[in-house]
Amino acid sequence: MRLYEYEGKELFAKFKIPIPKGKLAQTPEEVEAVVAELKVPVVLKSQVLTGGRGKAGGIKIANSPAEAKNAAQQLLNLKIKGFPVERILVEPKLDIKKEFYIGVTIDRANYKLVVIASGEGGMDIETVAEKSPEKIFKKYYDIDEEMYGFDAIDIAKKIGLGSEQIKEANAIITSLFRFFKKYDAKMAEINPLVLTGEGKLIAADSRVSLDDDAVFRHPEPAEMGIEKRHEEGEMTPREMQAKEWDIPYLDLDGNIGMFPGGAGFGIMGNDFIHYYGGKPANFMDSGGGPTPERLAKMLVLLDENPSVKAIFGARFGGISRCDDFAKGVVMFLKEHGLSKPMVVRMTGNMWQEGVRIFEDAKKENPDNFKNIEFHGIETPIEEIAKRAVELARTAGGR
Amino acid sequence: MAILVDKKSRVMVQGITGGAGKFHAKRMLEYGTNIVGGTSPGKGGTSVEGKPVFDTAFECVKETGADTSVIFLPAPFVKEAAIEAIRAGVKLVVVIPEHIPIQDMMLVRKEAVKHKVTVIGGNTAGIITPGECNIGIMPDIAFAPGRVGTVSRSGSITYYVADTLTRTGYGESTCVGLGGDPVLGSTFDEILWMFEEDEKTRAVVMTGEIGGVYEERAVDAIKKMKTPVIAMIGGIFAPPGKRMGHAGAIVEGKMGTAKEKLEILAAAGAHPAKTFLDIPEILKILKV
Repeated sequence: MRLYEYEGKELFAKFKIPIPKGKLAQTPEEVEAVVAELKVPVVLKSQVLTGGRGKAGGIKIANSPAEAKNAAQQLLNLKIKGFPVERILVEPKLDIKKEFYIGVTIDRANYKLVVIASGEGGMDIETVAEKSPEKIFKKYYDIDEEMYGFDAIDIAKKIGLGSEQIKEANAIITSLFRFFKKYDAKMAEINPLVLTGEGKLIAADSRVSLDDDAVFRHPEPAEMGIEKRHEEGEMTPREMQAKEWDIPYLDLDGNIGMFPGGAGFGIMGNDFIHYYGGKPANFMDSGGGPTPERLAKMLVLLDENPSVKAIFGARFGGISRCDDFAKGVVMFLKEHGLSKPMVVRMTGNMWQEGVRIFEDAKKENPDNFKNIEFHGIETPIEEIAKRAVELARTAGGR
Repeated sequence: MAILVDKKSRVMVQGITGGAGKFHAKRMLEYGTNIVGGTSPGKGGTSVEGKPVFDTAFECVKETGADTSVIFLPAPFVKEAAIEAIRAGVKLVVVIPEHIPIQDMMLVRKEAVKHKVTVIGGNTAGIITPGECNIGIMPDIAFAPGRVGTVSRSGSITYYVADTLTRTGYGESTCVGLGGDPVLGSTFDEILWMFEEDEKTRAVVMTGEIGGVYEERAVDAIKKMKTPVIAMIGGIFAPPGKRMGHAGAIVEGKMGTAKEKLEILAAAGAHPAKTFLDIPEILKILKV
């Protein structure tokens, strides 16, 4: 879960990491009022969950409340990489002498925490790593290790901080490390860490991402109003509907509706459709052990999508059982009805029960099943994918 | 021979009295898995499917001689349960639940390395040595005893690969579900080395996906192994920057694209497969 800059800074402040004395505003009038209380010039920073806002014109400087109001109006009309600007962080403009980078992240492949530092702050650290790797310093830690002050001082010296800043730098770096562990962060960056004309260090920006799977054990961020959010920019109406139903779903630009079971085959099945000359209309993930209701909703999303010309269904029952799968499909057929051709392969745990549920429902109302072709384990899944591509073609799509 | 589990494995089910624990304990027993007991704090002294339930893993291991644990507990309880099992003396812990906090899994991994224990998962379908031992949630119908090992991030992909190997007569030595969580108890290279040591395994199919960090770790193993490795990576046509289900499966810039992973593995000597049907074709050429 990515945090907004202001949220990250609020959490930093709890760990005594110095931050600019800024305030959040949501309307031009609020911005004007905030600026009246601050020393000008001020910086207006768009709060969006993506990088590169500076280049996109998402940061403005103002020298008076009226100027700030005007600038805020422009920012609030802006969309940065699909993210509309809804909040602005107003801060006094810093007197920047030099910029540094300090970050903590996880090296997943090697099971280590890694502290990264550089004297080249203010830029994207990946760019620095690529262009001048010698300017990046890293220290690795086991998950149950503490970071000592002497390590922080060593890092500070390596990136070019002098003796006058060592104590401050020590506090900031060790605090960032403690913050990272305490709140189950995946990433915590101060970029830039600014050395001001007065010789003070201050966290001018924050980039923090928390582990979604650990949110349950941290009441403090929730109390600050930090809650789960959508992080992938703008959503289509169907993606919003799916989100409401708690179904991982993405609209793609093809015409084959994908009803693939878990995420693993959701990803692979997408490739298969491409290999056989088709194009998927969506990505979808039923999650582990979906209820029949959830499966029925997944089909509603596909059937009501006008781009979808045929539906590719696959269920290999593991934790998600075939009986539940069949119940979900039958529920959808009864309550909603299928208007598109669909080819389905179902096998795995409880497949006999699944087949029985289908047969009973078909006896009851054969008409409901007229658009469905069923297959079991005897047909390779590749044949099902090919058939879906064929059905989409004959149904008038391309 | 097989890797990790066989008919001698003595299996403890942690969380045996819960819905999923009970359901899958029954299935595993029906398959012939040697389940010796289970745990559920507060339910010690009762039994499930005729197997004794203990309050702690320590008691269960002591009384039953369990050497393998499979965990069916909600994610917040996994760290404790896994570390308890490791300290109680099992040699293998299989973590079925998904969404284990990253720091928890890192602690579990550290404990496992210290005690030379293998941890598989989280978010794994489990491990199966067909005809001998099925630990987890894998559907029996896909598997048959044979000579190809499989290791995969995803449960459903494991089933499809095995289904293909079974249908074409190769069968499987052991199938390992590495798991779909962002940080896992074991990595591709570690499992590949186990297969390399196994006499029965004549080839290995490894299937990864976009965003994972463990595929690249396999490079060195593939280069040095005598056993041929067939590699398949999901997400060649995935839209960049979009999250597709598994938390781990997000493309971070250039790093971790499916195409790149497949190229790296192929350069190390793996045989790339596009679809499951390619696998038996490659095995035929390799004369497995």
